[in-house]
Amino acid sequence: MNNKIKNHVVIISMAVLVAVLSVLCFFGPKPDFLDAERRDPAAFPELSVDSIMKDGAEYSDSFMSKFETYSLDTFPFRDFFRTVKAICANYIFGQMDNNNIFIADGYAAEMQESISDESLEHAAERITFIYEQFLKDKGIKPYLSIIPDKAYFIAEESGHLSMDYDAFVSRMTDSLSFAEYIDIFPTLSLEDYYKTDTHWRQEQLGDTAKLLAESMGVPYSGEFDVHLLDHPFYGVYYGQAALPMPAEDMYYLTSPTWQDLKVYDYQNNREISVYDMEKAVGKDPYDMYLSGELSKVTIENPDALTDKELVIFRDSFGRSIIPLLADSYAKITVIDIRYIPNSAFLGSWVDFENQDVLFLYSTLVLNQSSEMK
Amino acid sequence: MLFSSIPFLFYFIPCMMLVYFLVPAKCKNAVLLAFSIFFYAWGGVTYALLMILAIVMGYAAGLLIERYRGTGKAKAIMMIAVAAIISFMLYFKYTDFFIENFNRLTGLAIPLLRITLPIGISFYTFQIISYVVDVYRGVPAQKNPIYLGAYVSMFPQLIAGPIVRYVDVAKELDERTHTTAEAAAGIRRFMMGLAKKILIANPLSELSNIALASDEPSVLFYWIYGISVALYIYFDFSGYSDMAIGLGRVFGFHFLENFNYPFISKSATEFWRRWHMSLGSWFRDYVYIPMGGNRVPKWRWLFNIFVVWLLTGFWHGAAWNFIIWGLFFGVLLTIEKLWLLKHLEKSRIWSRIYLLFAVMVSFIVFNAADMPDAFATIGGLFGAGGIPLVSAQSLYYLRSYAIIFVLALVGATPVVKNLAGKLSESPKTGKIINVLEPIVLISLLLVITGYLVDGSFNPFLYFRF
Repeated sequence: MNNKIKNHVVIISMAVLVAVLSVLCFFGPKPDFLDAERRDPAAFPELSVDSIMKDGAEYSDSFMSKFETYSLDTFPFRDFFRTVKAICANYIFGQMDNNNIFIADGYAAEMQESISDESLEHAAERITFIYEQFLKDKGIKPYLSIIPDKAYFIAEESGHLSMDYDAFVSRMTDSLSFAEYIDIFPTLSLEDYYKTDTHWRQEQLGDTAKLLAESMGVPYSGEFDVHLLDHPFYGVYYGQAALPMPAEDMYYLTSPTWQDLKVYDYQNNREISVYDMEKAVGKDPYDMYLSGELSKVTIENPDALTDKELVIFRDSFGRSIIPLLADSYAKITVIDIRYIPNSAFLGSWVDFENQDVLFLYSTLVLNQSSEMK
Repeated sequence: MLFSSIPFLFYFIPCMMLVYFLVPAKCKNAVLLAFSIFFYAWGGVTYALLMILAIVMGYAAGLLIERYRGTGKAKAIMMIAVAAIISFMLYFKYTDFFIENFNRLTGLAIPLLRITLPIGISFYTFQIISYVVDVYRGVPAQKNPIYLGAYVSMFPQLIAGPIVRYVDVAKELDERTHTTAEAAAGIRRFMMGLAKKILIANPLSELSNIALASDEPSVLFYWIYGISVALYIYFDFSGYSDMAIGLGRVFGFHFLENFNYPFISKSATEFWRRWHMSLGSWFRDYVYIPMGGNRVPKWRWLFNIFVVWLLTGFWHGAAWNFIIWGLFFGVLLTIEKLWLLKHLEKSRIWSRIYLLFAVMVSFIVFNAADMPDAFATIGGLFGAGGIPLVSAQSLYYLRSYAIIFVLALVGATPVVKNLAGKLSESPKTGKIINVLEPIVLISLLLVITGYLVDGSFNPFLYFRF
């Protein structure tokens, strides 16, 4: 190829590529939802004299600034381009993480570089508030259990940064010395987590649920039927890492004693099922467990092994393990203080009397606890 | 609007190219002007009005100077116009700096005006000043306001340079040719600049931010910071200049080079002959030489150097660290001219170590929030505060960015350019290079688009100047 032909090829190929993408930018279909990132794309910004004239400190509210975000979110083949970037960053430039997500042994995990003192203090302060406001005078000694995130098992050995998990747990247990700590770390391993998601796998949590139940002095049946969800599961890290990863199988457990189980969603005042099969095929299948992000849910099992009650303060990890305790308690009240206006209202929600109380939180949430109210 | 953005690459440029190459030659400058104003207004409509006002002032001054050429009036008009343009820049860029320092000196509490800096004001005001002074010096004034507007506002170089002199593009404003060879060369240059910005400068900027913000400071982290900041500033700014020069070629303009591998210099004197050449030559021609240059008594010559470097630093930003950065180079250049240069010329290795260290320290000052911050960082290079030599974080990030670091270090030298030049000249490898070039360019565009779509981290450093 001589220089003249090369110049023509350069101009034509670049022009065609830019023109095709440009036409798609202007006239192509726009996504309603960004599946891989599990969020809505930015909407086309309001075009008005006011929105165009914003500048200086107000520029981020201008049409131009918002259009830039819109153009990124609606760019044609967005997922393909994000994958191209991730492959280039990881495999050509040898970067060890992409957007703070790394893959080791086929597992995607978020790098947890350091302990956020501020966040741990906030979490401890919120839990202490609940204890002192509602439990202390009733003589209730709560339990505390911390769920390690996946990086605990793989970060260090794969050469990635890892926080000091022993120090993390010590700091929380020292701050919450009124609670009895249940150490579930030894019951867990990397295989108990999804490869593409932050969360643990429900069908792998038998030992953990048993330890929790026995530590709180209730029997644990452990008799469950395992069901395979007929829907491929791509977890949240799949979208964040943007690297090619295969879909995973997702399982859920049921118990023969759940015939008369009653699950109630107080946020929406409705009776629900332990598993929301609509959400199981939705944008985030992990929301199938106890119907996702709800502030208060109760599970009543007249066929439970005891007539005891449990109140669990939990995050998203708790949703999948709580059903495993449904055979052990006649009633479980599940509270997520991230989705309530203020913990001060809890007194009107729960009648704290003679229950076991468990604070069950993952390191991920405790280390970014600003949403705990 | 950023060159390295989706709106520019896939909305603005295709529309602009389509209109520009469809209209007849006599309308091309009008198209260039219209799209350039749109490009600039994207960053703030009121700023565009401000720029148009500055252009009108420059245009009127040019015509009046020409009308009164050879008389005292011409000089007076030139001086008034230059003062007006400079006061423009002083007001928008430096008012709060002066108020702040006045408050410090007097203990008063005059409220700051919080004026937002119009992007690129330092570049286009310098271009208008050079135009007005050049017309005073004998260059014919531009009669067509659209042509002058197109020159000042030309979007490829509008907001981050290079500072293009009117005389360098005057002929091409009137008449220029568009060829496939020039367009292909322009595309290639643009893509190289875009790659420098997105694939090298942005990651190095991220790395420098990580290093400085680390809760595990170490000597290694401070060195990573110093080196990555110096390389980041170079790749960011020279990448932008490459894009500007490349776009200029596509539209038939030939802007002068702005960088010539400054990190291979053996002295600060040589460094400034290779770094931001358009700014250096601007200060030389419009400040240093009019003040008498070096053809004056020694004390006056040293004073001239001091003024030029004070202004060079101040031009970069309204903060003391920029002034100290400029004066730092002023002192280095003075020492070199008076004594050091002849010693540096004897050693190729030590001269380069000296230059690279001096440049790294200078860019630490340049990039610092304030001087105490700069001193703390420089101290960190030598373990001040009893920090450890390495930390787990510093080792991790060194490993994670190692390839980008190596690419940046190699890319800061002419090795790749020289090698590609040699391979292209050979008939055998030249054919392979010709086949590979379009493939590489297309691949680069796809990868860069991926980086743009995936990330929101994309600031251009030199926009603030």
